[in-house]
Amino acid sequence: MGTMAAIAIDGLAFGVFLALLGVGITLVFGLGEVLNLAIGTFTVMAVLVATWVARGGQGIVVSALGAILVVAAIGLVVDRVLLSPSYRSEGEQRILLGIFTTLGLTVFLDGFLINGLDLSRFANVLVIPAFPASYNLSQNLPTVTVGGAVIQGSSLVVIAAGAVILAVLFFFLRRTFVGKATRTVFQDERGAQLVGVNPRRVRTLIFVLSVTVAGLAGILWALGHNVSVSSGFQFTTFALIVSIVGGVRSLAGAITAGILLGLVNTFANFFVGSYVATVILFGAAIVFLLAKPEAIS
Amino acid sequence: MSVATRVTTALPRETVRNVVLVAAVLALAPLPVLGSSYYEGVLAHLVIFAMFAVALNIVFGQTDQLFLFMGGLAGIGGYGTALLADWTGVNPWITLLVAALVAALLGLVVSWISARRKFTVVLISILTLNLQLVLVEIYGGARDITRGSTGFPYDYLSFPGVAEAVGVSEDVVLYYFALVLLVAVLLVYVWLVNSRYGVAFHAIREDDLAASSIGIDVVRYKVVAGTVAAFVFGLVGAVYVQEANYILPADFSFLTVDVLVLIVLIVGGLRTTLGPVVGAAIVVAMEEILVANFTQWRSAIFGLLLIFLFLYFRSGVVPALADLVDSVGALRGEPGDEPSG
Repeated sequence: MGTMAAIAIDGLAFGVFLALLGVGITLVFGLGEVLNLAIGTFTVMAVLVATWVARGGQGIVVSALGAILVVAAIGLVVDRVLLSPSYRSEGEQRILLGIFTTLGLTVFLDGFLINGLDLSRFANVLVIPAFPASYNLSQNLPTVTVGGAVIQGSSLVVIAAGAVILAVLFFFLRRTFVGKATRTVFQDERGAQLVGVNPRRVRTLIFVLSVTVAGLAGILWALGHNVSVSSGFQFTTFALIVSIVGGVRSLAGAITAGILLGLVNTFANFFVGSYVATVILFGAAIVFLLAKPEAIS
Repeated sequence: MSVATRVTTALPRETVRNVVLVAAVLALAPLPVLGSSYYEGVLAHLVIFAMFAVALNIVFGQTDQLFLFMGGLAGIGGYGTALLADWTGVNPWITLLVAALVAALLGLVVSWISARRKFTVVLISILTLNLQLVLVEIYGGARDITRGSTGFPYDYLSFPGVAEAVGVSEDVVLYYFALVLLVAVLLVYVWLVNSRYGVAFHAIREDDLAASSIGIDVVRYKVVAGTVAAFVFGLVGAVYVQEANYILPADFSFLTVDVLVLIVLIVGGLRTTLGPVVGAAIVVAMEEILVANFTQWRSAIFGLLLIFLFLYFRSGVVPALADLVDSVGALRGEPGDEPSG
């Protein structure tokens, strides 16, 4: 019984993590039909930058903040430079371009992060370390024992902090002016333009916001798990499933789907092993796509 | 019109001549490097990826069905050939056909469902991407059957006696076998696009609603393209691992096969006959230069290439060259050649 409860908490934590990534894909796709296949890479990048800063002797908070700023900045550059051509095209063409650009970005960043960049011959500051192994931001959080269940402290932090991030996100979208403008574009781009909202600027803002959330999710996740460069594409595929099962345009759907899939995957992991669990996850996405294809087109 | 005359009239002489020319170049290519198993491997790699790209050209280029489970389909061919031969003791050349037919069946089902339900290209790509992830997960996870990430030596498609009789290595024989396959696949492509299929494909690409309103059976044509392409992926998949003499789940991963085949096809030129071969030559040559100089930057450079190609160079090398030839011809006051690629 205690084991089941512990697995449920771990599953919930994984679910919240997936929900944060799924929301990122959903927001960007809902706003501008760009399917961000690089979102998992942003998640991993945040972890790597944080470990890099932490290596310099900084604490976890400073490391996390530094990492989030770097990821947000890279997100801004990616949006302005790489996504603009996609937004200039229309319909199916735009979706295809978005897929290939973000896919290429994933492949590029993965290769780049594994190798690092050493330009110290030219300038001493330009040294980006290589990240060939697995990394975590373990803070040796204590385990909590509740009624016989030994629960990982890091899982509780992921759930609590993740819930706060999601709440802030909802508050931002429902209550603030920029958030309302965002939802206007979501619902009716032409109408939004008529009332003076610039969709392109909203898209930039939301893209940066989504990769920031993905980065935060990564840092939370790395408190209790190892993350490597190759985890990036895996996170992306999970987030994609969450987004598909959640309906691609619905935030509440993405959150529900994330938590559901996190639980299913973690329990399946326990009972039938990780390989079958992953097959179940992707299988669920296929079944869902076949059952409700209108969700994504 | 009889079938025979329809086929002969359907194949434009110039395109066939170009295919033969390319085949001749590729047939002579191993001679200067004979005995260097490394360069023979490089050439075989070129031919194999050219075939993958022709298959993608059929299904994506001609009918807009973006199959992103090319690696998975190739794996069905690779694993299927070996496992069926091991289980049943049947000759691997027969199990190769069976495995390729299984891959074709999967392609058929995916195409049929997608076409029947009018899935968009994006939906097909995401659906097949999920299939790809399931398949590779199974190749790695079903250890009892596939021996998981340890893999196993792959020596199924052998040519007993041929190598000794001619006095060359098995690898060279495999290369020429792959080359024959490539020519066959290219001719199938040429035949398809120049038959009534090609006309139907064109109409469907333009507007499938309009195509069906003038009596074109959209579902049937898409299914034919999907099935033929999936068959080729399965067939070539076995040749692909035979060339490596070893099979591993990672050989069929999305980033190993699908991304590379996409780059090959787009570099060479979507919907051109020889684009896949030209693209494969360019990509393989780039790989060789990269391996020699900055091995570890392979992935980063291919990522950048993918972005750049899709944003700025979607027409590909073959159409660009054809345009160049045209404009040179025009400068000389000659009638421009038909883009023949």
